Amino acid sequence: MKKKFGNKDVWIAYGLILPALLVFAIFMFYPFFYTVYLSFFDWNMIKPVKEFIGLANYKALFADPLMPLVIKNTVEYILILLVLNCVAPYVLAFVLSFVIKRGRGFYKGAFFLPSVISLVVGSILYLWVLNPVSGPAAILAEFLGINIPIWSKTQGLVIVVLSIITTWKIFGYNFIVIFGGVSGVPQEIIEAAKIDNVPLYKIFFDIVLPMSSATGVYIFIMTIVQGLQYVFTPVKVVTQGGPDNASSNIIYNIYQEGFVFYHTGYASAMSIVAMVLFIVLLVIEFRYVEKGIYYEN
Amino acid sequence: MRIESNLKWHILLILALFISLMPIVFAVSTSFKELSEAYSNVLGIIPDKPTLSNYLRIFQELPLNKITFNTLVVAATVTIFKVITSVMAAYAFVYFDFKGKNLLYFILISTIFIPFTMTMIPNYLIISQIGLRNNIMGVILPQLSDATGIFLIRQAMRSIPMPLIEAARLEAAGNFQIMANIVLPLVKPAVISTGIMFFINSWNEYVWPVLILKDTTNYTLPLALQLFVSSEGGTDFCLAMAVSVVTMIIPLGLYLIFQKYIINTFTSSGVKG
Amino acid sequence: MKKNILKAVAVGLMSAVLLTGCGKSDTGNEQAGQGEKVKIEYWHVNAETQGGKTVQELVDNFNAQSKDVEVVARYNPDMYKGLMQNLQAEAAAGKSPAVVQVGWAFLDYFSNNFSYVPPQKVVDDYFPQDKAFLQDNFLPNVMDLAKNNKGEQVGIPYSLSTPVLYINKDLLRQAGLDENGPKTWEDLIKFSDTIKEKTGKYGFYMQEPADNWAQQALLESNGARMISDGKASFASEDGIKAYQAYADMVTKTKSALHISWDQGVQSFVNGDVGMLYTTIAQRANVQKGAKFDVAAISSPAWAGKPKRLPAGGCFLAITAQDEKQQKAAWEFLKYLYSVESMAAWTKGTGYVPPRKDVADAENGLKSFLEENQMMKAATSQMDSVVPWASFPGDAGLQAEQMLLDARDKILSGDVSAHDALTQTQNQINALLK
Repeated sequence: MKKKFGNKDVWIAYGLILPALLVFAIFMFYPFFYTVYLSFFDWNMIKPVKEFIGLANYKALFADPLMPLVIKNTVEYILILLVLNCVAPYVLAFVLSFVIKRGRGFYKGAFFLPSVISLVVGSILYLWVLNPVSGPAAILAEFLGINIPIWSKTQGLVIVVLSIITTWKIFGYNFIVIFGGVSGVPQEIIEAAKIDNVPLYKIFFDIVLPMSSATGVYIFIMTIVQGLQYVFTPVKVVTQGGPDNASSNIIYNIYQEGFVFYHTGYASAMSIVAMVLFIVLLVIEFRYVEKGIYYEN
Repeated sequence: MRIESNLKWHILLILALFISLMPIVFAVSTSFKELSEAYSNVLGIIPDKPTLSNYLRIFQELPLNKITFNTLVVAATVTIFKVITSVMAAYAFVYFDFKGKNLLYFILISTIFIPFTMTMIPNYLIISQIGLRNNIMGVILPQLSDATGIFLIRQAMRSIPMPLIEAARLEAAGNFQIMANIVLPLVKPAVISTGIMFFINSWNEYVWPVLILKDTTNYTLPLALQLFVSSEGGTDFCLAMAVSVVTMIIPLGLYLIFQKYIINTFTSSGVKG
Repeated sequence: MKKNILKAVAVGLMSAVLLTGCGKSDTGNEQAGQGEKVKIEYWHVNAETQGGKTVQELVDNFNAQSKDVEVVARYNPDMYKGLMQNLQAEAAAGKSPAVVQVGWAFLDYFSNNFSYVPPQKVVDDYFPQDKAFLQDNFLPNVMDLAKNNKGEQVGIPYSLSTPVLYINKDLLRQAGLDENGPKTWEDLIKFSDTIKEKTGKYGFYMQEPADNWAQQALLESNGARMISDGKASFASEDGIKAYQAYADMVTKTKSALHISWDQGVQSFVNGDVGMLYTTIAQRANVQKGAKFDVAAISSPAWAGKPKRLPAGGCFLAITAQDEKQQKAAWEFLKYLYSVESMAAWTKGTGYVPPRKDVADAENGLKSFLEENQMMKAATSQMDSVVPWASFPGDAGLQAEQMLLDARDKILSGDVSAHDALTQTQNQINALLK
């Protein structure tokens, strides 16, 4: 399959990768190890002397009463993001591929549109639109006789709304990628199933889902990893983790400890723990996506 | 019956679209209103008394031209660099064999999973020590370490049928010729749309620049937005919306022009099952 | 082809960037050579909608008339908390601006962690002719605001604000209430409930920013103290009573709004809330947006007890590290405290001038105040001004956050004021050890 081109070509290969590698080395790998290093110290970014405290930060992490709440919130975010950005796009892609005949291009284009807009702008827009007392959404709801709850101060609901704002941005991208996977399922199979009067939902679960699983898993993982990182912006702009940490997740908490309280060592330790969780996901991604796919080569 | 049920789906879709695009419409409409009308005529899409004063003000009070230019420079530089290095690296990963290739690829891709909070503090210290704080280069440099480009372009290259390459090799074509005459043209759509996405993402980047840039004249557009959102004095939403619209125009414009490319690339970059 | 054009443009841009980017090092506190102006940085928190324009005007005018000094203004988002964070990050990089605005709540944290020089020292060392400047122009109780708990004069008060009550006179009339508004907190509670009953709209909103300023006014006016002898002491009977009375409006009668600051002010300006308790600095925003008969009155008091209103805003501190910068800083400060500059500052922000005699001066605010009744609500309660409680030591930032969390707990109805305040007080004191 892949030809070997002789040893001199190996140097060419290295040369091609070098520029990217260099940048990574300076701005990714070095900071990564430096953060690991920092996690064993007590520091606030200013003091000239860092105090070595061994595993104390990690111990404090596990004893921190805030951690269970933060982790619970993180899980909630992940679940909601998955439903909105993994399940919903899937269904939508299915509908667009096999149920609706016309307007595909238009829908694809229109749904993807918000993805190109800054999330800061999006957060501010939604702050205005979703003002529970005097925003456009509230006024519309009043016509229908509903009172919008004050979501920015309601536990649980605040996570939902912040997830919705994040969804606004990432739905389009996820949808397009899944659409690619779904539309790769051969039309003939679908047509055959329809002729056999197989109900729509069965077609979805038994045919489409398995055949596009590689894409599905990819988006699943990306939604968790990137979704959490994207959510950071609305949390920072709209609630700053409030009310009473109800909207803070592990990423935001790391930011708060590191850049608001300046507990540099503690924040670093928390980063490592978050990183470990992500690595687990990474291993899954590599197993399923890289191995279980079919390429032309 | 078929037509009826399809209509039901269409209605659902239009409704979903409505919800997702409404905020943008509101933003544009509010940006042309006076502040008092923004509060009293919340739902009105067309302002009763349209005004350009918000736009005039934001350009007067802030060096918005320079800020837009800064944003352009940052986004363009990041894009060019990332596209070139991604193409180079992807080519190496696809068409060469060397020891540790898979391991290296794994490591690079794994960086996508590193939360930015992990690299924020050390990167901030590095940039400060080089003296690039409050400087556009300080904003550009850390953004360059992004593995998604390598991933996407590698996907695209792997879809090129090997026989094509082998045929070229048989005709004693050198590496550079293969790259230039066969591979690049075939992955051009992928490269273009990856580039566009890089550009848009860098354009919208907020978290890192807000840490680094201090001087308003060095700002990028997303940062300029927060200048108008002040809790202490109250947010002038009309001004904020005007800035938002200015921030949105270029990404939107790029998207509308290159829409076909972008959609097609991401549709086929997804892994084919 | 498209790509080629793009590439060419990009190469051009890149070279431009490289040329400018590499040449320009971290601007800021560079030493000027002889005959060149000393460049200093002035850090502020004033967004465009809140004095940012005035800052720039003042800076530009100063630069135009100064022979030796050039000031560069730097905006810090996220208000005083954000500025503190940035200052810390700057110090981590080994640098420091010359003049900074420090929020009152950060007085002690600032003086404990950052390197500054008291203004009087700069005056005594380099400007003997100005020796009496501070003494002559500022009232003692105002200067005291910028003294840390060691009694050291850390800086000079600059922006001064107090909480005032903005009222929607139309709504008050509609509810059959005295359109001049309530004078006591007890009356305010009745007013708020009545507005809710008669009009269906919310009666009251108290600001909920990332600080506890307004809540301090509420508690301390009832006799409580945020800090006593260096320890948190707000969970006293008076404090708990005051907080619970307010919380009841939110949770029991539901006549008060519990929402983020921005949205709360929006709702008032929209006409959906009857009374708004927030800083005088919002005056311009409220006036511009409101389409109803709006007024501002002095803060209510608890019946029979003296008002205690924490001073909002900031003071100016000199964080310049070397002689040239410090001298330049003083020259700039003297300019900022001139009568005309102070007047401009008030007009552009709504803050009350800390300096004596600006309010009555012809070239100061005399005619402005005559026209602008709302400001009177603030200027008339200056004698009730007390320092904004600032928690000492390294834990200052975290203590503030804990109070914010407690506020959310109480206003959500999940925890009583008694429990939340007591618990938070203990937590903070544990940190302060």
